[in-house]
Amino acid sequence: MRYSTKTQLLTGSAIVAAGLLFSTHATAQDVSVAFSASELGATAYNPVAASTLNTATSLIFDRLVEQDADQSFHPHLASSWEETSDGMSWTFSLLDGVTFHDGTPFNAEAVQFWIASYAGTENEYLVEAIGSVDVIDELTVRFNMDRPEPNLLYNLASAFMGIPSPTAFAELGDDFGVTAAIGTGPYELQSFEIGLETVLVRNEDYTWGSDLSENTNAGHIETFTFREIPDQSTAFLELRTGGIDLLLGVPTDFLKILEAEANIQIIQMPGVGISYMPINVTAPPFDNILVRQATGMAIDQDGIVAAIYNGVGAPARNFLISSLPEANVDPSLNVMYDPARAGELLDQAGWVMGTDGVRVMGDERLSVSLFTANTTELTRLTQVVQAQLAEIGMEAIITVFDSSTIRDEYRNNAHQLAVRSYDWNNSDILDWFFSGNRLGYPNVSMWEDAEGQRLNDVAMTESATSAERIANFTAYHEYVLSQHLFVPIYQPTQNIAFNSDAITVPDPVRGARFRGQSFVDIKVVE
Amino acid sequence: MILRYTFMRLLMLIPVSFSISVVIFMIVYLLPGDPIDNLLRVGSSAEDRAELVARYGLDRNLIVQYFVWIGNMFRGEFGEAIVLRRPVADLVAQNLPYSLTLGGLAFLFSSTVGMALGTISAVVRHPVLDRFMRGFILLGSTVPGFWLALLLILFFSVNLGWFPVSGAGGWTSLVLPVLTIGFGGVALVARVTRVALLDAQREDFVTLLHAKGLSSGTILLRHLMPHALLPVVTILALRIGWILGGAVTVEFVFGRPGLGSLLIRALGQRDYPVVQACLLMLALAVMLGTLIGDVAQASMDPRIREKKT
Repeated sequence: MRYSTKTQLLTGSAIVAAGLLFSTHATAQDVSVAFSASELGATAYNPVAASTLNTATSLIFDRLVEQDADQSFHPHLASSWEETSDGMSWTFSLLDGVTFHDGTPFNAEAVQFWIASYAGTENEYLVEAIGSVDVIDELTVRFNMDRPEPNLLYNLASAFMGIPSPTAFAELGDDFGVTAAIGTGPYELQSFEIGLETVLVRNEDYTWGSDLSENTNAGHIETFTFREIPDQSTAFLELRTGGIDLLLGVPTDFLKILEAEANIQIIQMPGVGISYMPINVTAPPFDNILVRQATGMAIDQDGIVAAIYNGVGAPARNFLISSLPEANVDPSLNVMYDPARAGELLDQAGWVMGTDGVRVMGDERLSVSLFTANTTELTRLTQVVQAQLAEIGMEAIITVFDSSTIRDEYRNNAHQLAVRSYDWNNSDILDWFFSGNRLGYPNVSMWEDAEGQRLNDVAMTESATSAERIANFTAYHEYVLSQHLFVPIYQPTQNIAFNSDAITVPDPVRGARFRGQSFVDIKVVE
Repeated sequence: MILRYTFMRLLMLIPVSFSISVVIFMIVYLLPGDPIDNLLRVGSSAEDRAELVARYGLDRNLIVQYFVWIGNMFRGEFGEAIVLRRPVADLVAQNLPYSLTLGGLAFLFSSTVGMALGTISAVVRHPVLDRFMRGFILLGSTVPGFWLALLLILFFSVNLGWFPVSGAGGWTSLVLPVLTIGFGGVALVARVTRVALLDAQREDFVTLLHAKGLSSGTILLRHLMPHALLPVVTILALRIGWILGGAVTVEFVFGRPGLGSLLIRALGQRDYPVVQACLLMLALAVMLGTLIGDVAQASMDPRIREKKT
């Protein structure tokens, strides 16, 4: 009797538990998202003052303009804009009827206050060219420029230019973004625990989505819980077991394993950067341009895409991602695989093939150091690069550093070759990595050149319009390529994985990155 | 007597703290790399960099920086995190409770289970059980935590689905991390308990107690245990610091916030004030643990406090 009572009790509670489990799943309006490893550790949702921001920021704050995957700009809180032909003044018309989460209206004064709030922060450079902001009427503002800034729209679309509520921003001071974050976005910040999770709830009043979203009204999902999971394997297991529904930023290595899972679907978006091998032009034998050119021709980019990345992504032929107009350079300057020509160039430079497969010049062997940082993806790529360099008779010895130490090595000019990557979808990245003002790091190539600096200055400061800027940066890019300062290798994709039993995600994804505009389109599977 | 001993022991902590502070300060600065690189974004100039270096006082003489730092410490000011942009005291205060909960539970788990297992194996002394115990102890003291963590996740979370894979929501998310950290401790405590009990059993007074007709249970609990506990308490006290330090990788794998996660992130970004504060906390835990152990031992064993005072 006792036994049977126990059994009944157990069965009963099991049924109740199963029922509860089932019912919560069916009506789940709470979607869990794991950040990608690169955006962990944000300590405040404050676009104006923060040094790191994560994807959740783009759900709390809207921007004046949005950037699409093809790098074109789309209206958002600014319904339209006009630029004078000299680039010295921009007029923005603002959307009507937009309110912040605290109920205060979004208007021209809010924009004026917001631009002024960048003064003295490290993000000030984003608005540096703006001399003053005039309020023309309730819904029109004019930016009076100190100098033309053709990059203005790009800056305005950045996550660091989300617009906060002026009232809350002034009231909360340093606590803005920590205890509360008030924007106009489709989701409101409910709770934020640094390093653990961020909970966002739907902004029911939202009707002003951009045309990058199918749904321009309030999101379909009630609550998004963003979690910080530092270990990639753990994040993968969470996705597999249903602990999270959406994983932002899946490393390419994991794609194969994830594809094998029936309930997991993957979306691949064009990436915003490349992997490349900078060459230190001050370190022999690379002070000889022929050796640098030969090194470039040794790398089989197509082979790398096929072998390491299973055909995902694209080969990189120059320094910029292919969706940027400045990537369209003279085709003869693109770096292509040609081992035979590489051999000829090395012969010409005086390096002849030795008996052990390594080239020699007199007593000296063509042996160089190859640095990289200690992430799985980079070290694997570096090993393949090493093997390909061996094919042309160059022995490369790999040294692996952590990402902070390697920068010190660059500054001490201790490097010859290095394999690294960057994420930045704007051509001003050329200035960052090749300006003579930043030798060592970020100018890992240690390149100082009068003509290069002149072209750099022209592109950075003397372009009045967007067309001029494109022409100037293309010229600078072409000159950089002609000097063989680096070897482009690979353009990765941005990978997003989600549990297709739980949610649907728009595909293809609009926008340069997977952020706010796509989150409002996410639906629960019924 | 015990008060005097405690006082002397506290006095000894002063030179130890000083050396620790120097080591912690120097280690961080002698590492290659610096936090400013993690603040600079595409577009900032060399002047921006110099300005940041000056703002955080990183351009000053290292000795001056040390005294500024130690002076602030005495006033209870941990400073502002350079990369994370929050008061370091806030960051530590947010993360410490997670680490203390995890460490405390792991400590409880390893001491109770370890002592129970050690006692059983010393009393039963069955060859099969003995071999099993020895195997378990060997595994426990050699298997690295991060690997054990992944295995536990695979088995209990992925295959059985009993516990969440990661996170810090509710008690279920504590089970696997506590098991992972406690496992090594269980093995260690079991080993020490077993050896201490076996040693104590060989003493003459035990034969006398048996001769007097006391039951084995009474002898074990009332007479053997107090003797055997002495080394166990020492080992446990040393584990207090060890458990907090050992949680570093485990917190990372389980995606739990805590001092360990904070330390790893700050180290990667060379966020000096945060690294220093985390290391200081861990060092303090070890120092406090040792102090508690010594005092407990002295209060249990008069010979120790006689010798050392």
